[in-house]
Amino acid sequence: MAEMNVAGGGGHKKGPKKVRGKKMSTRVDLTAMVDLGFLLITFFMLATTMNKPKTMEVNKPAKEDKKDEKEEPPIKMSKTATLMLGANNKLYAYVSPDAIDPDTELEIDSLDYSPRGLRKFIQRRQSEVGAQWGDPELLFVMIKPLPSSSVKNIVDVLDEMTISDVKRYAIMEPNDPIDSLIALMTGQSRE
Amino acid sequence: MPKVKIPRKSTAVDMTAMCDVAFLLLTFFILTTKFRPQEAVQIDIPSSTAQIPIPESNIMMFQISPDGRLFFGLDDQFTRMKLLDRLSSTYNLSFTEEERETFRLLETWGVDIRNLPQFLGMDPDARAKFQQPGLNIDTTGGNHQVEDLILFSRQENNDLRIAIKGDKTTEYRYFDKLINALQNRKVNKFNLITSARTAQE
Repeated sequence: MAEMNVAGGGGHKKGPKKVRGKKMSTRVDLTAMVDLGFLLITFFMLATTMNKPKTMEVNKPAKEDKKDEKEEPPIKMSKTATLMLGANNKLYAYVSPDAIDPDTELEIDSLDYSPRGLRKFIQRRQSEVGAQWGDPELLFVMIKPLPSSSVKNIVDVLDEMTISDVKRYAIMEPNDPIDSLIALMTGQSRE
Repeated sequence: MPKVKIPRKSTAVDMTAMCDVAFLLLTFFILTTKFRPQEAVQIDIPSSTAQIPIPESNIMMFQISPDGRLFFGLDDQFTRMKLLDRLSSTYNLSFTEEERETFRLLETWGVDIRNLPQFLGMDPDARAKFQQPGLNIDTTGGNHQVEDLILFSRQENNDLRIAIKGDKTTEYRYFDKLINALQNRKVNKFNLITSARTAQE
């Protein structure tokens, strides 16, 4: 250290250097301590940042609200879209007809959870509902998870509702006859 | 000429200030770090774009493992103890002082409530290795263990928020059972725990 020896040798400029060197300073070499300090800092920094990304939450719609919804005058099926979540990351989407008569044809889309699949379908429905009823926000999405679908699937769908800005959606039981039919056709178990 | 010699300077630097800074930072990180408590089961949470942070306190946490076992945890030790009192009177269980202490420090657990004294009485190492069977959510025979847990905890601490932590691969059937139990106790609002992700374009 540069200043270390100044105090001791100040008065004797002519004096032999050996004498100066032998004077003991009270200063301690802190290099090792700093090393240790930074090592621990590194450890704690890594330990904290690893924990942080896991603190996010999703709010789910209440089931009770759905019951109220059912008791209100039923929603026009042409304002809805139904998503059925199956096993192995399968997703089926359909639009129930307002009334079923012998000529009714039902179109079922098999989608994936990517932006090109699900998001495109939702956006298409939003624009259709917007064209028919004047407001794309009237779209009501019914999410029907089959028992063998995974939590990830539900989170993905709920997430997609937020991204596509769907205001009205609900998680429901797949109890429509059409649901049973689709489950049967696609080999998805309802148990 | 020898008299004008420039005094030699050492290359060593004064470390004191650096040391101060290092330990200041160290103190900060030590104080802010929260270590993840030892978990009863490994859960890989799904990711979503949700941005709402988890509340800091008053959380009732349900965890569902990939094979459908259900675990329960309260973050507040005071509520935990009150819950234990309620459980012991409702289920006619008696706990020793040691077992109560163990329960106070238990982050999450998943055993049948009737087996709780036995579980708490285990040797700490044995308990860590013990494969917990999950809470008993079966409601046959008027058995409503999960609903009781929800009810008692909420009665003891009115501010409790309910969080559900499910593994990516947990099937919906297990999830549905838990939601039914919650809704039977008039809980319609709960939070799904996910990790952060940015929206794909």
